[in-house]
Amino acid sequence: MWTEKYRPRSLDEIVNQEEIVNRLKSFVKARNVPHCIFAGPPGTGKTTAALCLAHDLYGPGYHEYIMELNASDERGINVVRETVKTFARTRSIGEVPFKILILDEADNMTSDAQQALRRTMERYTETARFILIANYSGRIIEPIQSRCAPFRFTYLPEEQIIKRIRYIAEREGLTISEDGIKAIIEIGGGDLRRTINVLQTAASTGKPIDEETVYSVVGRANPADVREMMLTALNGEFVKAREKLRELLLRYGLAGSDILGQIHSEVFRLNIPERWKVKIIEMIGEADYRLQQGSSEEIQLSALLAKFVEAGAEIKKGRLD
Amino acid sequence: MNLPWTLKYRPKTLSEVIGNEDAKKKILQWIKKWDEKTPKKRALLLYGPPGTGKTVTVEALANDLDMELVQSNASDYRTADAVQRFAGRSSRYGTLFGKKRLILFDEIDGITGSADQGGLREITKIVKETGSPIILIANDAYNPRFSTLRKSCELIEFKKPTRTQITRLLAKICNLEGIRAEPDALKLIAERANGDVRSAINDLQALAQGKDRLTFEDVAWLSSRDRKEVIFNILRRIFYARSIGGALRAVNEADVDLDMLLEWIYENLPYHVKDPKELAAAMEMLALADVYRGRVATTQNWSLMRYFIDFMSAGIATSWSRKSHGWTPFRFPSRIMSMSRSKAERDMLKTMGLRIGRKCHISADRAARDVIPFLRVIFQNNPKMGAGLAKWFGLDEDMIAFLSRKK
Repeated sequence: MWTEKYRPRSLDEIVNQEEIVNRLKSFVKARNVPHCIFAGPPGTGKTTAALCLAHDLYGPGYHEYIMELNASDERGINVVRETVKTFARTRSIGEVPFKILILDEADNMTSDAQQALRRTMERYTETARFILIANYSGRIIEPIQSRCAPFRFTYLPEEQIIKRIRYIAEREGLTISEDGIKAIIEIGGGDLRRTINVLQTAASTGKPIDEETVYSVVGRANPADVREMMLTALNGEFVKAREKLRELLLRYGLAGSDILGQIHSEVFRLNIPERWKVKIIEMIGEADYRLQQGSSEEIQLSALLAKFVEAGAEIKKGRLD
Repeated sequence: MNLPWTLKYRPKTLSEVIGNEDAKKKILQWIKKWDEKTPKKRALLLYGPPGTGKTVTVEALANDLDMELVQSNASDYRTADAVQRFAGRSSRYGTLFGKKRLILFDEIDGITGSADQGGLREITKIVKETGSPIILIANDAYNPRFSTLRKSCELIEFKKPTRTQITRLLAKICNLEGIRAEPDALKLIAERANGDVRSAINDLQALAQGKDRLTFEDVAWLSSRDRKEVIFNILRRIFYARSIGGALRAVNEADVDLDMLLEWIYENLPYHVKDPKELAAAMEMLALADVYRGRVATTQNWSLMRYFIDFMSAGIATSWSRKSHGWTPFRFPSRIMSMSRSKAERDMLKTMGLRIGRKCHISADRAARDVIPFLRVIFQNNPKMGAGLAKWFGLDEDMIAFLSRKK
């Protein structure tokens, strides 16, 4: 996978986020790392920076000194109580007296788990340092934030992304046009992982990469169509829309919140009365919140589809207020 | 003949026993050793979960090798005396017609301390001296009670046959019984049996005997302990309640699984409530019921259950005009069916997400969202690039097939 093949191995290879990289390099030099929070949007190099830091600190065999956990895969408090604690309390044998625990998507941890984590961080500071990675640092509880050095990652500037695309294209021997690059950047939306995935997928066609190739592969990559499901509901076919929803959830394994995200961005583009758009947004927000309380994704989203059915019927009656 | 199918289709020969190829091979090798000289370990201890084929393997083996099988199971008394009477003699002398003898002690977990005084000790003694091969069968070989016995035995583990193996066996039985069965139906029976072949065959017989067709829905009913008529009656009393009191009573008086009832309401609602405005209102009630169910689960505050019940009964009833559009049959919750149909695939997707996530330093969810859609396109465009990626991620055949399949 090109995202991995071209992932920087050392801090020196990271070309952007200059200020952050410099601070991390000073940690390496001092052979000391505080607990850190890396916050910022996806695909901006948070995990890469953490791995590079470990690499530079421990050398090529750094895997033995770190543990990577993804909080979305293991959300509960038990992971903190067991896995994290066991790792944190055993002493490191190398020249650096502590190990590093990289906790990815830490903002997805329950607050119980975060509370437990806070104690662990304190107790085992001597033997383990934590790098918490999150999209929003606001979702990390205050006591943890106050124990960590904050690092704010921002979207990469466009010229950096262009440079990266050209670099990979050259190494892989790809032909890529200007409008092709533009299209990839547009779809990538500043997320370098997504950008490189789009590039590799476009390259898999074996054709020169231009605007058309890019949009066609991305169109095909979109699982089943969320928009189509919405239109089916607007057209009054609730049962059919419900089946499409089920397919997205079960066949494609999409999370309810992802589907809501896509519905949200589609709503404004629909040809329905403005009043209904706002009504539906309210429902989306409510459903999003409900999902977090552990309700059934399909039932919550179906209730939303029923709203679309209602909106569709109103439009047909010509009540376009 | 009204035989249980587990008997009617009991394997006659080793090759008919499904799964556990390794174990079968080891047993065969051990028994062949007896032809040369008495092996060091004179007994085998076969162990494994129920229904994995331990007993039938021994029976089929005796049949294949034309041996006389002498067996004792938990229904027999197994005191020291009884064991001595049963096996002591057989283990020393040959058979009348020169057939070789195989001694089987089945279900030795069931040899109890009080009723079968000294039984285990006697078996241990016989095992050490026997002139005929002895096979012992237990579910749990590592029970401390077997610690002495275990030392004189060679241990062979029986594992659960796979879902595919069980499905194939069920299909064979259906064929012989002249039943047309939907493949998904058999898969679901096999899934539910969780490696227990005996219970899978029993379920199949209970569902399909005397019929010429077996559908997925027939099997899906197995997972619901409630009867059709009871559920239909409650649904009617909720959907067409004359007052909210009636709807409430329908749920409160009924002794049914409430989560399942919610699924029933959810499935059938749109076929009864047709007006868009009413449908939206009723669905909102269902969503609220679901919210309270979620709150009960997260807070463990069971008094919140009453709101769950209120919304799914009174809430539904009051959100529409309750005018019947003529007779509408109630349907089995299709969500439950899709969930069991797609279970294997969802498990596979989850595992694939985790594998990809580990390699790409992301969560399984993010892999499903950000990587798998692109992989599908890559696998279809460029099988060679796909094969390289499959190897790197460590994907298995099912995963590759999923990624290569056209939408």
